[in-house]
Amino acid sequence: MRALVIDDSRAMRRIVASILEGFGYETRPAGHGREALDVLEEGWVPDLACIDWNMPVMDGLQFVSAVRAVPAWRQVTLMMVTTESEHGQIVKALAAGAHEYVIKPFTADAIGDKLSLLGLMPVPA
Amino acid sequence: MTTALATSGFDWVCQLVRRESAIVLAPGKEYLVEARLMPLARQLGLPGVAELVERVRARPEPALTRGIVEALTTNETSWFRDGDPFTALTGTVVPALQAARRPGEPITIWSAACSSGQEAYTIAMLLADSLPGATSRVRITATDLSRAMVDRTRAGRFSQLEVNRGLPAPMLVRHFSRVGAEWEISPALRQMVTASELNLAAPLPRLGPFDVVYLRNVLIYFDPPTKREVLRKVRQVMRPDGWLFLGAAETTLGVDDSWERVPCGRGSAYRPMKGK
Amino acid sequence: MSAPITALLDGETVTAVAGEVWSALVGEEEFLLPGLGPVAPAVDGPSAWVTVTGPWDGVVVLTCAASGTADLTRSVLQLDDDEQPTAEDVEDVLRELANILGGNVKSLLPGPSALGLPETGPAPLRAEDADTCRVSASWRGHPLAITVQGASEAPAHPTTEVPK
Repeated sequence: MRALVIDDSRAMRRIVASILEGFGYETRPAGHGREALDVLEEGWVPDLACIDWNMPVMDGLQFVSAVRAVPAWRQVTLMMVTTESEHGQIVKALAAGAHEYVIKPFTADAIGDKLSLLGLMPVPA
Repeated sequence: MTTALATSGFDWVCQLVRRESAIVLAPGKEYLVEARLMPLARQLGLPGVAELVERVRARPEPALTRGIVEALTTNETSWFRDGDPFTALTGTVVPALQAARRPGEPITIWSAACSSGQEAYTIAMLLADSLPGATSRVRITATDLSRAMVDRTRAGRFSQLEVNRGLPAPMLVRHFSRVGAEWEISPALRQMVTASELNLAAPLPRLGPFDVVYLRNVLIYFDPPTKREVLRKVRQVMRPDGWLFLGAAETTLGVDDSWERVPCGRGSAYRPMKGK
Repeated sequence: MSAPITALLDGETVTAVAGEVWSALVGEEEFLLPGLGPVAPAVDGPSAWVTVTGPWDGVVVLTCAASGTADLTRSVLQLDDDEQPTAEDVEDVLRELANILGGNVKSLLPGPSALGLPETGPAPLRAEDADTCRVSASWRGHPLAITVQGASEAPAHPTTEVPK
């Protein structure tokens, strides 16, 4: 399985990628939404995208809307991974088309639980 | 520097936990004892678990003894832990109960080791979303050995880290609201759940009868005679056509032959065998 | 203008939020010990911060003693004990910690607010005491400070403070 890890923090990209790789994912990083769209346009369409909200150039919410507008990318599961944690913000992300939402700070188990819920756990835990 | 827990200290902790909760800590679980008791030791300003054990052995303090037992018997819970028993509830069990019961007749469910309440509220959310009138019709009894866990279940409040653990985001926004740094379950769902202290290894108080019992990841801690005894008591508080869900690594097979294992959803459930 | 931060948030809450951030990001067995006493001492080290705009405007600043930054970076990035993190890694880790602290603080404020992108450098100017919530803590013996301060700057010559 493949995952795109979108976060402007290199530290966070490294943390998320290492958790996903531990579950057997192949990952690619992107520093913001536009960079992530470039990866998709290039033909690398992942099973999962983990998306930060606040990023320069193109934020996570704009990225979610952009992906949802393209039928060919419908198979991509969109999971916000962000410090935005108000009730209203989660509602907004789901309304834009995000499937799941993980609030920072999180543990590796939290990501694992969400992947199990989404049926995206390559190795049954 | 902290000193490692000596064998005698470990044995003493095992006996204490065994006596208070009937839970058996297997040899080799020293690391578990160390990890679970370290926060308690730190809280008391002690350098390590060995010192904590030494202190309680020298001068028994009921509150501390209880703290030790609770720290060693409380499980980290996530929402929808091992999803099958929950999909089976809405997919198989509730439709069967609706067919067997009069319209509006209460549906009673027991979460028998409720921890901080995630299992009970997962059931409440699922039924509120799928069964019309669930909030008045479904009664969930949540029990735990630990008083602290029962209090937490009653409060229905969860930290950010806890709601991150396997709770689907659409359910979070539908059934919870933010209260300061925590998330609180809606009053309608909270009133479906009644929580109280209960030791499965001791004689049971008046309970039930239940249509569904979730007894998950508890039996693994008991030795075979206690397992059999717990299953016998559970059977007594269940309706004859009730459903029992055990943890993924647990079974009644070879322990108590008065149960029938039936496929249920993608997993299995256990039902009281007729005439037993 | 909204109420000052001291009316919206207390130090205990900030400490609790920081504790969760630490246990999730720095390590499960990592404890952030709350500082002692009401007066938080100055922490000598780099800062990272994030702005919050909404009914309350201000900034959430994390300052970590210089002695602790390499250790902190190694823990967050799960580097080996003998690995020396780059300056870029250190800044990135501090920024992300400030970002997460800021996001969690923001969620405790009334009304919708927006979070800026995290920055590092010399800490922003101090705000008036009435609009500042400052907690001190230590991690593995290294002092840390988390300051939630309003956008209003303190007067250049505070008259209420005894110069050191």
